[in-house]
Amino acid sequence: MATETLKTEENQKEDQGGSSDKASTSGIVSDVTTSKTKPEAARRQLSPFASVKLSVTLMSLMALTILIGAGCPQESQVGQAKVFEAFDRQTAEFLIRIGVSDIFHSPWFLALTATMTLNMIVVSFQRVFPKLWQYNKSLPFLRGQDIAKTSVHHILKFASATDSAQPATHQQAALLAELSQRLTKMGYKVKIDGLKLKGEYGKVGRLAPSTTHVGLLTLLLGVTITSWTGFNGFQPILLDEKLNFSDSQHSKLWIGKLPQWQVRVDGTRRENYSSGEAKQWFSKLTCVDDKGKVLHQGEISVNNPLTYEGVDIYQSSWGLAKLAISFNGHKRELDLNPMGKKYACFLPLDQDTVLIMSLTSEGQNLRLFAKRREWQAPKLISEIDAGKTIRLGDVDLKFEKVIPITGLQYKCDPGLPITYVAFGIIMLGVLLAAVPHRHVWVAIEQNMFYIGGNSRKAKVGFERSLDNLVQKLRGEFAFETDQIVDSAPSAKTQEEQNVV
Amino acid sequence: MSSDFQLVLTNTAGLSSVASFWVFVASNASKRFQSVTLKVANIVMLIGFIALTIAIITRGIEAQRFPLANLYESLLWFAWATMGGFLYLSRAYGIQQLGWLASLVAATMFLYGSWLPQSQHDITPLVPALVSYWRQIHVPPLIISYAMFFLAGLSGLLNLWQSGRLRSLAFCIGTIIAASSAIGLGTFSKVDTLWLQLLFVGSSIVGPFAAFRALGKIDPAIDQSQSSRKAAEMYDDVGYRCVSIGFPLLTIGIITGGLWANHAWGSYWSWDPKESMALVTWLSYAAYIHLRIQRELSAEKLSIVSVIGLLLTLLTYLGFNSLGFGGLHSYGKFK
Ligand code: HEM
Repeated sequence: MATETLKTEENQKEDQGGSSDKASTSGIVSDVTTSKTKPEAARRQLSPFASVKLSVTLMSLMALTILIGAGCPQESQVGQAKVFEAFDRQTAEFLIRIGVSDIFHSPWFLALTATMTLNMIVVSFQRVFPKLWQYNKSLPFLRGQDIAKTSVHHILKFASATDSAQPATHQQAALLAELSQRLTKMGYKVKIDGLKLKGEYGKVGRLAPSTTHVGLLTLLLGVTITSWTGFNGFQPILLDEKLNFSDSQHSKLWIGKLPQWQVRVDGTRRENYSSGEAKQWFSKLTCVDDKGKVLHQGEISVNNPLTYEGVDIYQSSWGLAKLAISFNGHKRELDLNPMGKKYACFLPLDQDTVLIMSLTSEGQNLRLFAKRREWQAPKLISEIDAGKTIRLGDVDLKFEKVIPITGLQYKCDPGLPITYVAFGIIMLGVLLAAVPHRHVWVAIEQNMFYIGGNSRKAKVGFERSLDNLVQKLRGEFAFETDQIVDSAPSAKTQEEQNVV
Repeated sequence: MSSDFQLVLTNTAGLSSVASFWVFVASNASKRFQSVTLKVANIVMLIGFIALTIAIITRGIEAQRFPLANLYESLLWFAWATMGGFLYLSRAYGIQQLGWLASLVAATMFLYGSWLPQSQHDITPLVPALVSYWRQIHVPPLIISYAMFFLAGLSGLLNLWQSGRLRSLAFCIGTIIAASSAIGLGTFSKVDTLWLQLLFVGSSIVGPFAAFRALGKIDPAIDQSQSSRKAAEMYDDVGYRCVSIGFPLLTIGIITGGLWANHAWGSYWSWDPKESMALVTWLSYAAYIHLRIQRELSAEKLSIVSVIGLLLTLLTYLGFNSLGFGGLHSYGKFK
């Protein structure tokens, strides 16, 4: 079977450390790259981590692991309760026990990541980056007989009055000039030497593997720096209280330092649409040191964080937390519960009666309701503005103030600039990988015209473009009708047919 | 509400994808008229493509926002990219059999979209979380990459056909039908999602495995023919081409998604299920690319890998929402 032969051939090449450009079948073409063969083979035997088979296996395992992680709710993201919601009790307990519900922190995932990193580093340095040295080596001009060995080629004979006569020199020169023009238009860099021509297309495509891999290694560096020194957390903070970073989360392997300063919430408010839905939340923050000295100030809102000493503080949620009231001068703070667009607290007066106090999110006036067991709905008793007092029976009830709470999310991501650079490099690298690297050679020898070349990727497109080119030349220059060697695929080796 | 003009254009595109499917199929009936019928099929497809392009632009103008905000609109984009991708490939490679498959996919997407409830068709204002210029940077590359991966998988099917691996081909087609049915049922019926997940995942494991096992069974009549070999080689190359266009787009889509997330809530990666699925797809195509470079697999095996890729793409794009895996990125519940 054709493909199996191919496979073993290729494997042999692998084992011998046969290098790089297997797509080029012409001996001369691969000469340029085979100079590296021996030392590379020696090095490769040293490292079992330099195998691409291993990397494909690792990538597949990684994909499978993440797939499982995507299918099971993750404790670290949504909490353990969700696992029990998604599965029956037994399954959930089983998944939690074997670590599937926190798969991205499991030893298996970490080991996989570590192996993949090692594999990528070794392969990058042993097999990918060394090829960069060949980047500026240009291939030689080829003779007709070598062109006939390239994977796509045409050989034509100039038509002439008498067979032995040389075709007119000016016709040959015109042909090369025409070809050069056409190839240049197609994006080739063309060089001419006498009656030989060579053209190269998409050389930058050769930078794709190195660029992408540099990007991936840079990404790993950025992520590692963050994981070793960064931290993050979330804390709901009452008005006038301070956020400190002692409850922040970070990885187990950590050599970072938590800030000594704290963040005081000097003000926080909510802005509504006319419908009463929240439009935006704001918090006025002040960073203070342990002696209370002001270090930095600013107002934050959603999507608009405050940054101080590498720590970003985000507005992430908002609410009214407590209601301060006084009964006959005795101050009390009651917890408020969010109830749709309103906040409320409940104060049982006796076995059958509850006092309900409710506020809108602006918190400007307090509505007092009473609810008795036998009543269908609570009854509105009174409304009080902030700071005002009313008399209820023999009690003076004063609405002191409402205390808002602001949810502050914070993070310190020292590797982020590196990660961003990595993102850029990776995007560039994978774009370069779409560029096919192609060579074309032309030679005119006696009354024969040779044109041929190869393309590592998009071979069929290359073949078609070359066919078209020859078709056009045939229209413009006098060639004999028959091609000397047919360039139909039957003329190609098995290997070429199956290898792209 | 969307205007009649836009509706007419969208329907034109939908109908022409159905029409081009039949003309492409019919082109196989007679060798004598083949080149003419193929030309007609391509033109019908081109008309649909142009109509859809204008429809999408019109929708954007009417909505006064970038017209890619819900599932329905993303399906229009997907169909658009599938048609456009095929038209490009047929010009560059002169391939034609991919035509009826591409038409079929586009038509299926139109149909799927038209069955969605009216709320999806209506032009509605965006929820606050989506109001960001990042949306138009993040989403289109993803949708277009999905379409490219679909075309790659379809080329894989044709490669299996032309190399005479009919049994493997049957397994692959069966799997794609089973997986698509799961998604259809998950979107439109009340069948328990657990069964549908099982149908999708089960068939995606069993089908490709059986296809690999069956590679040894070759129909010699097809395999030996000169033109089939040439065609098989071409579909192999076309599949790779689609992946090498789709992969950078997927990469850009994932990374810009991370930038958006970091901008919006301070973390570029949160292992959200859909995010994770995109990473799974990305890793799988990275594996495919490395297999290509190392040339360790035959074209037929790579074709089956590209079908697995198609299934993962389907799972990422439609499966995670419709099969009830949930997550942050759902287009909203509408059942
Ligand atoms: C896990 C470790 C990895 C190893 C061992 C590895 C190995 C390799 C090797 C040996 C090459 C061929 C270089 C050449 O032919 O010059 C290559 C190319 C490449 N790799 Fe990786 N790789 C790994 C991970 C990745 C990942 C995760 C990506 C994701 C983007 C990636 C993207 C690429 C690209 C885009 C190319 C160039 C492909 C082309 O030229 O068409 N690699 N890799």
